[in-house]
Amino acid sequence: MRSFLKKNWISALLLIVILILAFIAYSREGWLLVYEGIVSGITILVREIPLLIAAFLTAGLIQALVKKEFITRWLGKDSGIKGILLACLGGGLIPGGPYVYYPIAGALLSSGAGLGVLVAFVTAKNLWSVSRLPYEFALLGSSITIRRYLITFLIPPLIGILVEWLFGGYIQQIRENVKE
Amino acid sequence: MNTSTIILWIITLTLFVFSWKKGTETVKRGVLLAWSTTKKNGLLILLAFIIAGFVNILSPEKLVTAWIGPGTGWQGIISAEFLGTLLPGGPYVVFPIIAILVQAGAGLGPVISLITSYSTQSLLAISFELPFMGWRFTAIRWGIGLGIPLLAGFTAILLWG
Repeated sequence: MRSFLKKNWISALLLIVILILAFIAYSREGWLLVYEGIVSGITILVREIPLLIAAFLTAGLIQALVKKEFITRWLGKDSGIKGILLACLGGGLIPGGPYVYYPIAGALLSSGAGLGVLVAFVTAKNLWSVSRLPYEFALLGSSITIRRYLITFLIPPLIGILVEWLFGGYIQQIRENVKE
Repeated sequence: MNTSTIILWIITLTLFVFSWKKGTETVKRGVLLAWSTTKKNGLLILLAFIIAGFVNILSPEKLVTAWIGPGTGWQGIISAEFLGTLLPGGPYVVFPIIAILVQAGAGLGPVISLITSYSTQSLLAISFELPFMGWRFTAIRWGIGLGIPLLAGFTAILLWG
């Protein structure tokens, strides 16, 4: 039991979150809402399957295509500000949700990318995101959107540099953490 | 089929062509790597999507308005950060909710804090982050990021009131 939990603690954690949400749904409107929640989740999953397949293939192909030395040189812990800016650019351009960019970030991690680079990639994906721009413009208007982009523009590279400076040395542990 | 899916497939197919030029061995290895990641994370992805489904049907719009609606000021920025971590789903789900808040009169500071927090501190995204990046990565990225939405919100208030 103990070793099972140690291996599957993330699943266990997600399961607990599901149980809490199911309980909230049940206490609001009974079993029907619990059922609707599960159906809604599976519907979203099915709708996103084409995107998921593309994301996993992209992650796999990147790993197969790009040599480790290349990633280490351009995105590794010694790639410096150039690596961080490159990661920001890639993050800003890539479309899709967390089930798209985390498999790709995971592939980069196991291929030798540095911590600051990876944090910059994930942060830029969410703050610079080009694919999200149309929604934000259409729904919130240009005034809010332009101000939001201006204010958060420097955050992805700065946080990448800060994280690399403070915690860059932990990258090996993080890499092994995922391999387990 | 939305734009994201089409763009991502274009990227995937481009990578396919590049791998093909390097030889079928590379293509095979890429697909096998993709398959092993899928197998390893299939259950987790299913669970994460069920969480997304529940949050979707529990429709939190009303609560949201009470927290960062008109006249909540500086406290609104702090509430907005907290709220942003809970906002679920993609931009097509979240931005309509934020648009309702803007129409209801939420200030610029809280709105910017909310968008930033949703972007960098989302708890739902963490359920996808943990399997691929491990808890250490999440702890560092999320922990350092906590100050960002507040900073963005306060900057907005300083610059534009």
